[in-house]
Amino acid sequence: MNPKCKVVSSNRLRTGLAICLALAVLAGPASPSRAATNDLFARGLELSRAGQFPEAAAAFGTLARTQPSAGTLVNLGLAEWQRGRAGAAILAWEQARWIDPFDPRAGSNLKFARQVAQVDEPQLKWFEAVSACLPPNAWVWLTGAMLWLGVGLLVLPGIFRRRMAGWHQFLAALAFGIFLFSLTANFGVVSRTEIGFVLKKNASLRLTPTQNGEIVSTLAAGEPARQLRTRGHYLFIRTLGGAGWVEQNEFGLLCP
Amino acid sequence: MIAMDCAQPLAPRQNLTKVFRFPIFFGLRPSAFGFILLLLKPFLASAQAPPQLPPGGLMQLQVPQPSVDLSSPVSAVAAFDPPSVHVGEKTYYRVTIDATESSIQWPDAISAPAGLEFGPKISGQITQMLMNQFRPHASFVYEVKPRAEGHFTVAPFRVDVSGTPVDIPAASLDVVPPSDRTAAARQLRLEISQTNVFLGQPFRARVILPGGPNNEIEALREIEFRGDGLMVDKIVLQQAIEPLNLDGQLKMALVSEMTVTPIAAGPLKFAAQGFAAGREFTAPISIHGQVNFFGGMPRYVLLVSDPVEIHVRPLPVDGELPGFTGAIGRFFQDPPHLATNRVHVGEPVSLTVAFHGEGDLTRFVPPAARRSRDWQIIADPPPATGFTLIPLADDMRETPAIPFSYFDPDTARYEDLTIPPLPVTIVGEGLPVELPPLDNAGKTEAPLKLSAAAPAPGKTVSGLKPLQLRLWFAGVQLVPVLAFLALWQWDRRRRFLEAHPEIVRRAQARRALRREKRQLQAAVGAGDAVAFIHHAARAMTIAVAPHFPANPRALVCGDVLAQLAATGQNGPAADTVKSVFAAVDARFAVTPTRPPDWLALRPGVESVLQTLEEKL
Repeated sequence: MNPKCKVVSSNRLRTGLAICLALAVLAGPASPSRAATNDLFARGLELSRAGQFPEAAAAFGTLARTQPSAGTLVNLGLAEWQRGRAGAAILAWEQARWIDPFDPRAGSNLKFARQVAQVDEPQLKWFEAVSACLPPNAWVWLTGAMLWLGVGLLVLPGIFRRRMAGWHQFLAALAFGIFLFSLTANFGVVSRTEIGFVLKKNASLRLTPTQNGEIVSTLAAGEPARQLRTRGHYLFIRTLGGAGWVEQNEFGLLCP
Repeated sequence: MIAMDCAQPLAPRQNLTKVFRFPIFFGLRPSAFGFILLLLKPFLASAQAPPQLPPGGLMQLQVPQPSVDLSSPVSAVAAFDPPSVHVGEKTYYRVTIDATESSIQWPDAISAPAGLEFGPKISGQITQMLMNQFRPHASFVYEVKPRAEGHFTVAPFRVDVSGTPVDIPAASLDVVPPSDRTAAARQLRLEISQTNVFLGQPFRARVILPGGPNNEIEALREIEFRGDGLMVDKIVLQQAIEPLNLDGQLKMALVSEMTVTPIAAGPLKFAAQGFAAGREFTAPISIHGQVNFFGGMPRYVLLVSDPVEIHVRPLPVDGELPGFTGAIGRFFQDPPHLATNRVHVGEPVSLTVAFHGEGDLTRFVPPAARRSRDWQIIADPPPATGFTLIPLADDMRETPAIPFSYFDPDTARYEDLTIPPLPVTIVGEGLPVELPPLDNAGKTEAPLKLSAAAPAPGKTVSGLKPLQLRLWFAGVQLVPVLAFLALWQWDRRRRFLEAHPEIVRRAQARRALRREKRQLQAAVGAGDAVAFIHHAARAMTIAVAPHFPANPRALVCGDVLAQLAATGQNGPAADTVKSVFAAVDARFAVTPTRPPDWLALRPGVESVLQTLEEKL
């Protein structure tokens, strides 16, 4: 074997080991956290199986606050539903679908819950419906990638003194097209953050943000609404039936 | 459930449950009026916290009671007690009539003989059980102080009793010289535990009836306090016969102890009165020591005590804490206990709280149930101090805190004794997890049951807030912008250098010259004259190469000399250049000669290189 080749091979091996070590160091601190997450998740599952739904909901709720995941939120919704809190369950499943729009459990449970609770789905505008096709963060990465891909395809051949080929232009056009399309989806994502759900049964929708405010109507648990503004402990929301003020603890936003 | 006890200077800790047994004994043998009054007293005297009526108490009210003897002839007795005193000594003028007090039209003033000073009227009433009837006895007493010696007689007079005139016989008093022996007036003694109290602060009062001759002990009935601004709690009356040091003598005495609460601020003066009633003890009595009881039929004698004075301060307004119900003293709270820590919505759960204290707990008003949106709080009926809690929603994790505070008279401050919240799990009404299959199956897309639980967390994110709303993500977008800017700048620079190649050549020459100069210095340091000459010549050609431009290897001595200034071309610099190149060329001579000291050219070489570098 050529000695030069041996030296090159040795260098590559050393570099590979260094990269692996660096990755291990970077991944190391996350391991205890992941273990704790798994422990809490397992505990929540165990409590659910034992029928201790309030305790299970507390465990999944804690986990969902620290490290939201689709599975945790699905299970949180199940525990909340089992303890009779339809609003909180629907919110949890919507959040699970927010993280992973392709989660079959969340979608199925939402349909079931809305049929039982007789509440509607949130009315989405077309760009919001589009944004619901992918996870919210996927859209923003897609937008950034397409923008810079298009820019790169237009700029880099000139810089590197390559002739701009036809496929360069085609790809650039495609990238800019996807970029423009994803912009609307991103707007839909931001717009969907205003959507929330009524948590308590028969929550009062008031005319004014006061305790003694006139009650415009009562809202069913799980009813969707959009938060428009805040005043003190009250939120001004718009539901399918009208607008009014609800107490902050009676309404849960999709993205708190 | 209640666990109350109290510890006070005058009485050891006692259990309230014992106290509530008292009215049963208290109502066994009194006369009809007294019996009824005694049964009613717990209700009349306990407006703040009604004590519990003993079982069957109401039943006793419905049982026909013996009638009151109002038909027998009314008789009256009047006498001084003692009948013989010294000047200035106290004696009592006492009139007893066999009638109810309310039926007697007692005159506002009686004709007292000159030389006797009569005090204010003191009156009382007692009933005596005779056969199957109650016989009333009313007594009117005046404290009398003679101002002179002599024999005094209160003339007989007539009073109207239920429309019938009754003659009050004459009574005589002998005021004897100091040399004669007299008996002391028989009276009650009143002792109180505190003389400086706060408004509403209960204190203990002891009414002492000293034993008579031969230490004979008599019962004391119808004990009352004369004075305004006091509330006397006779429910917790404790009676004992014990030896006491009275006026320096150890004597047996009947001690009746009860709780008194001031209900008016300022200085309050009050005295005790009661009927000596032979053997008619009407309450449990603890006896310490050897006792002789009074024999024979009871003689109902209304006795009074000297007045005592207390100073009552109002409670401070500043610093009052929430939940103050009037409790004054020092109280402690056991950790509250919840019957269960798991309860359904709408299901009552019992919260037990036990208070202990060093103050009087008979009038202890437990914390009031506060209003809560999420809980219905029902206070247990007094004197119990627990609560019944009913959760109205299922999103609470703990019971509500129930504010309570008391006033500590020792520190004159309000102290917090709030019942703390307890962790509780509230279970809501369950929702269906499965729907019955529909006949028109297929018309609805909704599933018929909930999914199973997710076995793993699945896709995880750092937060639900999207990246679009996070500031750092906008910062990340600057990275490609900066990259493109850097590329653009690099391209501009490259184009500029392509347009100006002399800049590149000069830069390359400067780098090569610095390298050659380092090697030159190394050769000087090593004393290598050949290497020195070689690097010196190469450095000079490198320094002048960009001016032509040409490859340094292609340049010769003349090219270097051409780049020197006109003045330098014939000077020492030119000589140095020539010497260097001559030395270099000497390597190619057929007969090499011994090289001269080329290192001596070092100063000149450095000077030439500096000149050429400045020009570069």
